[in-house]
Amino acid sequence: MSVFKNHKRVADRSASDRRRHKEKIEKAIKEGIHDIVAEESIIGQDGKKKIKIPVKGIKEYQFIYGTGKGTKGVGSAQGQDIKKGQVVRKAKQKGQKGKGKPDKPGNTSGEEYYDVEVSLDELAKYLFEDLNLPELKKKQNSVVTSEKVKRKGYRTKGINARLSKKETLKNKIRRKNQAIKNGTFDPESGERFPFHEDDLKYKHIAVTKKPITNAVIFMIMDVSGSMTKRKKFLARSFFFLLYQFIRYRYQNIEIVFISHTTEAKETNEDDFFKKASSGGTYISSGLAKAEQIIQERYSPSSWNIYTFHCSDGENWAEDNPKALDKMRNLVNISQLAGYIQIKRTQDKIWGEEMAKIFEPLISDKFKIVNLSDKKDVWPQFSKLFGGKYELI
Amino acid sequence: MSLSEWSMKDLKVWDDKIIDIAKNHGLDWFDINYEICDYYEMIGHMSYHGMPSHYNHWSYGKTFERTHLNYNMGQSGLPYEMIINSNPSIAYLMMQNPLYLQILIMAHCVGHSDFFKNNRCFKDTDPEHVVSRMRNAKKRIQSYIEDPSIGQEKVEAFLDNLHAIKYQTNRYGTPRKTRAEVKDNEVKRYNKYKEKGISLDYDSLDTKRLLKPDHDMLSFFTEYYPDQFKNWQLDLIEIVKHDSWYFMPQIQTKILNEGWASFWHYKILHELDLPDSMHLPFLKMHNAVVRPHLGGVNPYHVGFYIFQKLEKEFGLEKCFEVRNTHDDVAAIRLYLDEEDFRELNFFAYQNEKDGSAVVSEVTDHDDWKVVRDEMIRNTGINMIPHIYVDRVESDGTLVLKHEHDGRDLELDYADKVMDHIREIWDKEVKLFTIIEEEIWEI
Repeated sequence: MSVFKNHKRVADRSASDRRRHKEKIEKAIKEGIHDIVAEESIIGQDGKKKIKIPVKGIKEYQFIYGTGKGTKGVGSAQGQDIKKGQVVRKAKQKGQKGKGKPDKPGNTSGEEYYDVEVSLDELAKYLFEDLNLPELKKKQNSVVTSEKVKRKGYRTKGINARLSKKETLKNKIRRKNQAIKNGTFDPESGERFPFHEDDLKYKHIAVTKKPITNAVIFMIMDVSGSMTKRKKFLARSFFFLLYQFIRYRYQNIEIVFISHTTEAKETNEDDFFKKASSGGTYISSGLAKAEQIIQERYSPSSWNIYTFHCSDGENWAEDNPKALDKMRNLVNISQLAGYIQIKRTQDKIWGEEMAKIFEPLISDKFKIVNLSDKKDVWPQFSKLFGGKYELI
Repeated sequence: MSLSEWSMKDLKVWDDKIIDIAKNHGLDWFDINYEICDYYEMIGHMSYHGMPSHYNHWSYGKTFERTHLNYNMGQSGLPYEMIINSNPSIAYLMMQNPLYLQILIMAHCVGHSDFFKNNRCFKDTDPEHVVSRMRNAKKRIQSYIEDPSIGQEKVEAFLDNLHAIKYQTNRYGTPRKTRAEVKDNEVKRYNKYKEKGISLDYDSLDTKRLLKPDHDMLSFFTEYYPDQFKNWQLDLIEIVKHDSWYFMPQIQTKILNEGWASFWHYKILHELDLPDSMHLPFLKMHNAVVRPHLGGVNPYHVGFYIFQKLEKEFGLEKCFEVRNTHDDVAAIRLYLDEEDFRELNFFAYQNEKDGSAVVSEVTDHDDWKVVRDEMIRNTGINMIPHIYVDRVESDGTLVLKHEHDGRDLELDYADKVMDHIREIWDKEVKLFTIIEEEIWEI
């Protein structure tokens, strides 16, 4: 006796296992990101730029046979002519990619790579989720909540009025082409290729609420001759992270870019990240410039001020007392100030390094960060803003 | 959402006819409970091998995502039929299927259920209790996850480790002596000698003395070294082991099982007197299911071929005999000859380092035997390398060996699996294998 019944709907039984799987992938993405945040190619790009991150698949390993000598496969070629020595599968071309297929040429073990394509904006989301600007305070006429209604991509669920016919049709065509390619659908057969529930795409409208706080960030960078290309690159990586972080996390935060040699000047974002310079160093010049701009435009009574200064630790000795003095002033009026010294331990420095000079200032409001390598950028950055990495 | 062109009543009417025909032919199967579900639920059940209840693990979520993605990309259809080996059997029918397809599936399921009930390989799968056993296992694992002294991370990580070696357990369903039985034998031997006045040169029967090479790694852990594990870990090992034991016969008999089910849906549907409007699409579907896969082995195709051939040459009775006694390896060896291999035009190919594959043997001259042997090596459990426990050294090092049959292990994978085993075993672990004709220690 057979029994027929409508399936008793269990609430989406694999939901929790899918969530765990997703968490694992996200973790892998995050780990992958940390390796690429200091890649040259992403520095100075805008938020729409797509970056490919190879994320190792969450693989389940078992003992399997390799593809060496002695391991053969068997196939059928019924009704076809087949000869010894015939190539039945072509060699992978270098750089050839397929969905979910191994990406590394010559890697026969089939390492599963998810080539996750993320925009810088999404990257920022993964990176900066847990980080915060410390000590952000209400200042005069400060916290207002802004509400914005924005078209924001597409969703698979929605009301009919928001059905996107274009996206829906695109999905169906995509699916159909794939099916033809894979031989599961024959276009000649005259059969309909129906829309599928999963094809449906709805326009999504999101309301975003963000508190507006008056805050300004000063990014001060030493671009003197002693800042080698490598050091400048590290400084830029750090500032670039900072810039993306702020852009992602806060609305209406102003950013002031200052680059200096013996003299300082305010620059725009583009020049700051891209332009090279040379000459001697007065650390104080950059700090003085910041102080001047604060006086002119950002009264500490109504602005949260953050100041970060990147240099290689070298300064002309006669400038040291002045630099310390200026930094002290800035620390006093800032919510947080940071000095980022880019120096490998083996790098020799004439005279005393700036990190030493600034040491007496260290407090909750003033941090010194040392970057010696690309690898340091993310952990140090994260630590500065309350992430989980320990300062080394 | 389209309304189905059929009703539950239609299914019942056709099922009654199917049952009559199948009974007349002497098929003997478990009652079948059919559940009507949509494609999303179908993928959900597929991810857990159709078990109505199964313990949770992220890997099943991964399976779901992949199936769902492939399906949406049109890269694969869904299996039309899914039935589990239980009494009563549980089968799923997708709402979206047209009536003729449901009829085909129901006839197909009768074939599967008959195979589950009668094939020798399945005799220890305990179909009466498998559903409740898995439900209880799920509950226990959930309780370990909720136990604050254990928690999700630990349970998950231990399951990761076990899944890496889940098939390294009694592979062939051959009898294995448990530790207790081994000890019993030793005691008897000892006493026998003692009666004769001969005292054997050992004074205790400790674990190390009893341990012989053990081909069931999972049982080895729980029987010989239970003290290394916490109770919840021992339980997880047992759960995973029984899962493997339950599914292993299906791996062993994929070709015969699908062949038998296809053989019977084909026979039954021809006797059903379907109207043309259903008979023609049925034939088309049947041909799609049992067509050869170019460059691969389609178990439906090979299995259907075997049973059709057996019926033609030896009669239906022989088919029932094969359904009772054989697994895929035996059936290929016994019932596919040179002529069949020519007819099916199988070939063997070698994978090259650059990712290409080159035909190494075709079925002319005596090479057909090479092709057959390669096919056997790629069938059922033979696809999974066999690793066994060789010994435990005095310092506690666990020594594993790979039963090398000419095929080398994939080293990257072996390394990773060894990492998992090292998480399970608290001392050193070594694996000996052969790579490019040299002994290799991992």
